[in-house]
Amino acid sequence: MADENKAEIVGTPALDGTYVAEMDIWPLECQEFNRLYPFYDNLKAGKFTTTKCKKCGHIAFPPGVICPKCWSDELEWVELPQRAKVVTLTETQAGAPLGFPSPLIMAWLTFGEDSPLKHLLGRIVNCKEGELKEGDEVQFVVFDVPSHPIEVKKETKICDRVFYAFEPMKK
Amino acid sequence: MAEKKKAVIVGGGTSKFGVRQATIFDMLQEAMRACSDDIPALKPTDIDGLIIATTMAGRHSSALNTAPLVVHRLGLSPTSICIRLDTLCAGSNSAIIVAKGLIESGISEVVLVTGAEKVYMPQRWETNYTQLAVNDHDWDSAMGLGVPPPFFAMIAKMHMKRYGTTKEQMAHVSVTNYTYGTDSPNAHFGGRTLTMEQALGARIIADPFGLYDCCPLSDGASAVVIASEERAKELTDRSMVYLRGTGQHATHSMSVGWPGDTLAEWPHLKKAGEVAFKNAKLTPKDIDVAETHDCFSISEVIELEELGFCKKGEGGAFVTSGAINMGGEIPTNTDGGLLVYGHPFGASGARQAIEICKQLQGRAIHQVKDANFGLTHNLSGTCAQHTVVIYGREPVE
Repeated sequence: MADENKAEIVGTPALDGTYVAEMDIWPLECQEFNRLYPFYDNLKAGKFTTTKCKKCGHIAFPPGVICPKCWSDELEWVELPQRAKVVTLTETQAGAPLGFPSPLIMAWLTFGEDSPLKHLLGRIVNCKEGELKEGDEVQFVVFDVPSHPIEVKKETKICDRVFYAFEPMKK
Repeated sequence: MAEKKKAVIVGGGTSKFGVRQATIFDMLQEAMRACSDDIPALKPTDIDGLIIATTMAGRHSSALNTAPLVVHRLGLSPTSICIRLDTLCAGSNSAIIVAKGLIESGISEVVLVTGAEKVYMPQRWETNYTQLAVNDHDWDSAMGLGVPPPFFAMIAKMHMKRYGTTKEQMAHVSVTNYTYGTDSPNAHFGGRTLTMEQALGARIIADPFGLYDCCPLSDGASAVVIASEERAKELTDRSMVYLRGTGQHATHSMSVGWPGDTLAEWPHLKKAGEVAFKNAKLTPKDIDVAETHDCFSISEVIELEELGFCKKGEGGAFVTSGAINMGGEIPTNTDGGLLVYGHPFGASGARQAIEICKQLQGRAIHQVKDANFGLTHNLSGTCAQHTVVIYGREPVE
């Protein structure tokens, strides 16, 4: 019996070739699963957006279906600044989660006093280890991430996806 | 209206923490066995309530509806409450707050608070991968945020920059906690010791942290009994340890909405502490022994500041003054804390409670002389939430 199993590393038997949303690091971005799908449509158009309350004017992040300040559901999509300054940063060489290449660079970003989004802990891409310094400017960047299937009746539809991060400003 | 009952911690025990060759239920049974050794008069039929705190059960242990499974494995038949609770690293401390309310209101008489995690899987990738699922998945995890060292490294860098805290001061926390935890038989790193040279010369995990600035992830389980004063007196001859005050405060998710001026200020912990001290009718000066959430060496430094044991920004000098050592102003993490005892998320709060219970009953391995008041603290969700519980040998009047 032992001999039959020793040949190769096997996957999870029942899941062979299937998509497991629970194990997916990227969001379900499509309209079929997410009322915030305009955020991702806006990403595809190169825009960094969120929801603003038409009642009290509060701009929330992440976006939502209601305003977390006054609970109104009368919201509109607005653009956020795409440039930020690095307050501090960290570069992970070992132990980055599967799916994230090393070095995994994270930065505590500040968008300035006038921005509705003051700080964001964000991922930095397109950047070599040691390249980014405190005080440097970074800019918003959108990239493709893997698609996933959805079952629509007996057909399978493929949902294309994007996500965002920040990258050093070209000097 | 009937007089409010008084909630008491009777005793408890933990499984061996570490990289375990055991399932989550094996470890819960070990914790129950240790709890039973600690409270010999306790029988399964005495327990009318169960709370199981766990984060990873479901992902790692295929036990989404955990509470009935724990009931069955521990031979319980609860009649007042039987629930699973999850606040990540504060799970069983949160459960103790719930148990206090249940007992004071008369809903429960004897509540078993358990916490357990099976962290390590057959392939190592799964542990860090699952940590992505315990944060705000769509916003933070997709950024790669979730594994704690990089985040706390930024906190440390900022504390060093703003307040002049040094790597030596942080290492002092780790070295001190090893002097305690080495004697805890169930600790992940029990039996091991640490020198300043070893701490400062260790391999870098995330700058400025070396290996010993970071707590391990651990498999493990813990169990404590919270009961009404009347029932507690039937279960034990030991002196009573009362739950005096609690506070829990959350303000934001991980990547946005940080409440402090910088990452070095934790006003949400300050608030949770203030609420707990007010409810306990005590001040930081009254506390004789503390268990704070030393997930990283810098965490203990900042926690001592925000809980009011020293001035803001002076935590580094405070720890090197000997304040956290035996005989100091506030001996801290006297069972080794997370750094040495280990950190099975949901099980850590109850582990801390057991140590404070023993300290206030005068039976800890590293005993603080005449300890009357003790405090436990957990942070959770990558410093998004803080949980504080204060214990005393006298109830709040």
